[in-house]
Amino acid sequence: MDTGRTLSRRGVFAGGAALGAAAMMAGEHILLPHAASAGDARAPAHPPHLVPLHPRVDQITDIKVCIRPFRAAGPRLDVERIGDKTVFHNYGHGGSGWSLSWGSANLVVGKVAATLNRKVAVIGCGIVGLTAALTAQRAGFDVTIYTRDLLPHTRSVRANGSWTPASRIALTQTAGPAFADQWEQMARFSWATYRTYLGLPGAPILFEDNYILSDKPFDEGPARPAPAGAPGRMPRATEDFAAFDSRIRDIIPAAEDVPAAENPFAAPYAKRHSLMIYNFGAYGHLLLSEFHQAGGRIVIRSFHTPQDLTSLPEKVIINCPGYAARDWWRDDSLIPVRGQTAWLPPRPEAPYGLDYRGAALLSKTDGVMIQAVDLDGLGEMTGVGNSFEHPDPAEAARAIGVFADLFARMPMAGG
Amino acid sequence: MTMRIKSTMAACMAALTLGMAPAHPLAAATPCAEPAHGADLYRTACAMCHGTRLEGNFETPALTGRFVANWAGAPVSELEAYVHRAMPLMAPGTLSPDDTRAVVAFLLAANDLPQGKTVRVGARTRSACPS
Ligand SMILES: Cc1cc2nc3c(=O)[nH]c(=O)nc-3n(C[C@H](O)[C@H](O)[C@H](O)COP(=O)(O)OP(=O)(O)OC[C@H]3O[C@@H](n4cnc5c(N)ncnc54)[C@H](O)[C@@H]3O)c2cc1C
Ligand code: HEC
Repeated sequence: MDTGRTLSRRGVFAGGAALGAAAMMAGEHILLPHAASAGDARAPAHPPHLVPLHPRVDQITDIKVCIRPFRAAGPRLDVERIGDKTVFHNYGHGGSGWSLSWGSANLVVGKVAATLNRKVAVIGCGIVGLTAALTAQRAGFDVTIYTRDLLPHTRSVRANGSWTPASRIALTQTAGPAFADQWEQMARFSWATYRTYLGLPGAPILFEDNYILSDKPFDEGPARPAPAGAPGRMPRATEDFAAFDSRIRDIIPAAEDVPAAENPFAAPYAKRHSLMIYNFGAYGHLLLSEFHQAGGRIVIRSFHTPQDLTSLPEKVIINCPGYAARDWWRDDSLIPVRGQTAWLPPRPEAPYGLDYRGAALLSKTDGVMIQAVDLDGLGEMTGVGNSFEHPDPAEAARAIGVFADLFARMPMAGG
Repeated sequence: MTMRIKSTMAACMAALTLGMAPAHPLAAATPCAEPAHGADLYRTACAMCHGTRLEGNFETPALTGRFVANWAGAPVSELEAYVHRAMPLMAPGTLSPDDTRAVVAFLLAANDLPQGKTVRVGARTRSACPS
């Protein structure tokens, strides 16, 4: 580590938490004296003023485990008849359920509208069910949600909670080219809807600077080809997974390189981008109260077999059970993909995100979220086929360790 | 599984298929054998998530209270089918049919529900098996 960089880091970390917090409260940016970047060729244009986070295992408030409902063909959005009911499926959104929720709801409710019914039942109150219910209300339907659990108890709130619309959403080959177009339609519609929730009190949705850090130069080399042959239902390698993000490049803020002189972190390579994040508490409460205000009803009920639906008064049903469709709809096409997040107390004075060495950190209004995304270099195969929905404290400690170590290597950062 | 347990289980299953109430005096020792084996299975395969006292937690449903309401009036075979198909969550389908029956028998007994073909709430068993 050269002296220039050390000084630079000390500068951008604003001499520790106190000063950083004061700056946040005052809501203004402190301009660093030029000397703060002594040794660098030029003063950084927009040096970030970041308060260091020193995450520790003894600060864990919760470890949440979740199963991503992955389907190789993409989410199930077809229509099925059960007795005199028409069931519109809306499940299997992999690692993209939050991000695609509004777009998926838009597709499904569009089909439901064509039936000319005015009453609709929604099964499930995860993020997919709740947004489907709201979308149906906005289209003039009288909506009842039937669900075992409300949003705060669903798998949805055990996610990371950021814009990841193409995260394990499908396998390229199995889903086929038509799905790519459908995905793009969903992603664009969702993005636009999320934007209507920006700038609200309580910050249900907001943008945060996310830093992608690396020990090696970022390698933008050609992507490795997928393994030969068709994967069918089961992913075999990272390359089997659909990568659609470039299709919506025109609306998603691009990542930019952070020049060494502006890089406050003890990792030599850094990129920064504006990431949309979902604050589960504020956003979840807002959506539930919108649903109630619009006259929506919620019935707590657990279904065991598809035939149970015939007892509902509504003729039209939107089915949003997430991974539970595997059991309740006997849908073996759902592949579990386990994921875990550890939560530490909120740090509003340090509002940024980090991706480093296979771990992710996001500073959210309801806590600092730390996720072991890919600690073992398995790429998108991490957690595939694993439905062990039980906390693994060792995994949480490893992920926290990545960031503890990062900040510990920055001795000037107020440690 | 030992022969002893196997044969008691066979007797138990016969009792179940006949829809006999577990309080039947002659079968007094038998109906509890299945739940007892089920209790062992529960401890090893289920308790880590659902809790040693079936109490559940914020993420995992309790197997008391609402569980009883969820399944009230349902055929026991449907509950068995669910447990076999879906549980334990990380290894669904790994419980043998016998073990599935035993663990479901345990869940019923632990909730003071009678063994039988239907999950019958209100028809209390006088003699819940010690669990
Ligand atoms: C670690 C992790 C991180 C993630 N991060 C992100 C992210 O950053 N961004 C993103 O977009 N996505 C993310 N995801 C993916 C996202 O969480 C899921 O795609 C999404 O939660 C699926 O929502 P859902 O509403 O379909 O299912 P669920 O949240 O599981 O909701 C299902 C609903 O159906 C009800 N239900 C189920 N079965 C029955 C039944 N038999 N009877 C009655 N009711 C029933 C349940 O009670 C519940 O209300 C992540 C996932 C994981 C595991
Ligand atoms: C890894 C954690 C885990 C283990 C181990 C586990 N379960 Fe579950 N169980 C769950 C979760 C989570 C649910 C909720 C199901 C869902 O949302 O899909 C559940 C649901 C259930 C239900 C339905 C409850 C209701 O009210 O309808 C039953 C019954 C059940 N489990 C029985 C068992 C039995 C029996 C075992 C052991 C053989 C077991 N479980 C092992 C996590 C677990």
